Amino acid sequence: MRSPVNIVMRKELKDALRDKRSVMAAMSYAFFGPLLMAVAFYVLISQLTDTSNVKIDIEGAEYAPAFVAHLERQGIVTRDEDWPAGQQPITLAIAPEWEDNIATAQPAKVTLTADFSSQKQRTDIRRVESAVENYTRQLSYIRLQMRGIDPRITQGVDLVKHDTATKGSKAAILLGSVLIFILLSVFFSGMNVAIDISAGERERNSLELLLSQPLTTEQLVWGKALAASAFAMFGGILSAVLIPFIFKFLPLHEIGISIVLAWPMILLIMLLLVPLALLATALQLFVSFRAKSFKEAQTYISLLLMAPMLVVFGVEFARVKNQILYYLPLTGQHQALLDIIKGESLQWGAMAVSAVATVLVSMLLLRLISRMLSSEKVVFGL
Amino acid sequence: MIEVKSLKKSFGKVTALDGLTFSAPEGQITGLLGPNGAGKTTCLRTIYGLLKADTGEALIDGIDANLEPLAVRKKIGIFPDKFGLYERLTAREQIAYFATLHGLEGDAGATAVQNVISRLDMDAIADRRATGFSQGQRMKVALAQAIVHRPKHLILDEPSRGLDVMSTRILRDLLRELRDQGTSILFSSHVMQEVAALCDQVVVVAAGKVAAQGTPTELCEQTGEEALEEAFVKIIGTDEGIAA
Repeated sequence: MRSPVNIVMRKELKDALRDKRSVMAAMSYAFFGPLLMAVAFYVLISQLTDTSNVKIDIEGAEYAPAFVAHLERQGIVTRDEDWPAGQQPITLAIAPEWEDNIATAQPAKVTLTADFSSQKQRTDIRRVESAVENYTRQLSYIRLQMRGIDPRITQGVDLVKHDTATKGSKAAILLGSVLIFILLSVFFSGMNVAIDISAGERERNSLELLLSQPLTTEQLVWGKALAASAFAMFGGILSAVLIPFIFKFLPLHEIGISIVLAWPMILLIMLLLVPLALLATALQLFVSFRAKSFKEAQTYISLLLMAPMLVVFGVEFARVKNQILYYLPLTGQHQALLDIIKGESLQWGAMAVSAVATVLVSMLLLRLISRMLSSEKVVFGL
Repeated sequence: MIEVKSLKKSFGKVTALDGLTFSAPEGQITGLLGPNGAGKTTCLRTIYGLLKADTGEALIDGIDANLEPLAVRKKIGIFPDKFGLYERLTAREQIAYFATLHGLEGDAGATAVQNVISRLDMDAIADRRATGFSQGQRMKVALAQAIVHRPKHLILDEPSRGLDVMSTRILRDLLRELRDQGTSILFSSHVMQEVAALCDQVVVVAAGKVAAQGTPTELCEQTGEEALEEAFVKIIGTDEGIAA
């Protein structure tokens, strides 16, 4: 005889596959997430590698023609057209005393006015700054040499930078944000199905009859959890497969990054996502079996989704480093994925521990749900 | 044989069942008649183990649903208070789902499902998805789910609510047929006519207790009334919550 878990899972899968909304939801997140990242990176890269002239307002250019010529050689030119709406002008004002200051070897005053917090103009401002600094350095060298002093005297320390960042580890910073998408796709993709088979069952009044059938609540919950996590996994696999493809089409080499994700590594990523898919589903079922309607469950679950996002983003941006992260559910998978992408040596032991921990937590949650469904208070909302 | 022995159940301060005792023997249709809120649904839910009685027991063939819920549920077919269909499954798939949960698989399962579909005259809708089914069609699917595994005991909670004449007839014919095959049938109702037309035995429930018990004729004799409706009103002392 087939196990009731199997019967329930097959039925839920059949039911969910016919629900276009669930299938679309599972696909779209896994699909559009990486795509969105691709577009963002494309814009970022083209901004970083932009070599066109920076056009700014230069006031008092007539006082310092040599300086302005220097700026022009560095690609900083006077702006003819108006600033686009919503963009603060970048203005470089040269003081009228320029000539005197240069002649008497005083610091010549140049004022740079701009919105320094502007994300878009950051590179432009940076380029103006470095062009000015460049000119200053040249000027001081000349002044020292004219006084018979070795210009190197101003250099107390000669800092030689050896960049040990491999191409892979530079990529890691970029890919860190992509990882978040892969991890979260597991949480998003199974969501609709999870709600439909729990809160939906209650909403369409089929829960009572189902609970009166000859199967334990444990079997029922497992059957449902496996069906929903199959959807979650599907989303995870889709995004994991898509991401290396998308990176192939991005001009990453232009910013000195190379990402090589071999297929065995992608398979490993998928394998790591399996326990996470179960956890995601268990969490969602735990919340939405308590809800009385689809809508109520959606509200709870969107709040619940904040949790993994906060954890992953928190670890990512706060740059938390602790060995414990390798062993815990969710952060364990996150760290392992980071290592895979950085091309660092993998901690197989830690990977196994976090996988087991994830499965254990999921099993505990599913046990709790089964208990819940055996309680008349929860079932009938007494 | 369904036996209910001095069941007590309260929800907070509300007492739903207050020492309810009756039995539904094989080959008989037992009607649980009572006004709204008398505790009919609570009683049925206790029998199939969804609710736990405070004291007393409900037995199916001598098995307590609170102790061995799975053993009990294998023996019964349920037509619940609320039945929802899976809108994206066809009628046949829904019935087959419940058949497999009762261990009917493969050819045996398919045959059982087809039999019940033919019996309920559902061939026309069998392979349509449940979206758009009428109330009568929905009732048929729910009924088919309840009897597909040929249970020895059938429990129905207000089965005829919302049904038209034709559907009600199909339901009654089916119940009589199953009774003649030796099934013990217990159903709750607050519709007098239905109980009078169908039941071999009537258990009148009011305020969680058995107010009277017997065949419809016996009830009339006990109260000295001609019509069951009058007898009923006399028994429970009010005509509140009763449909003629």
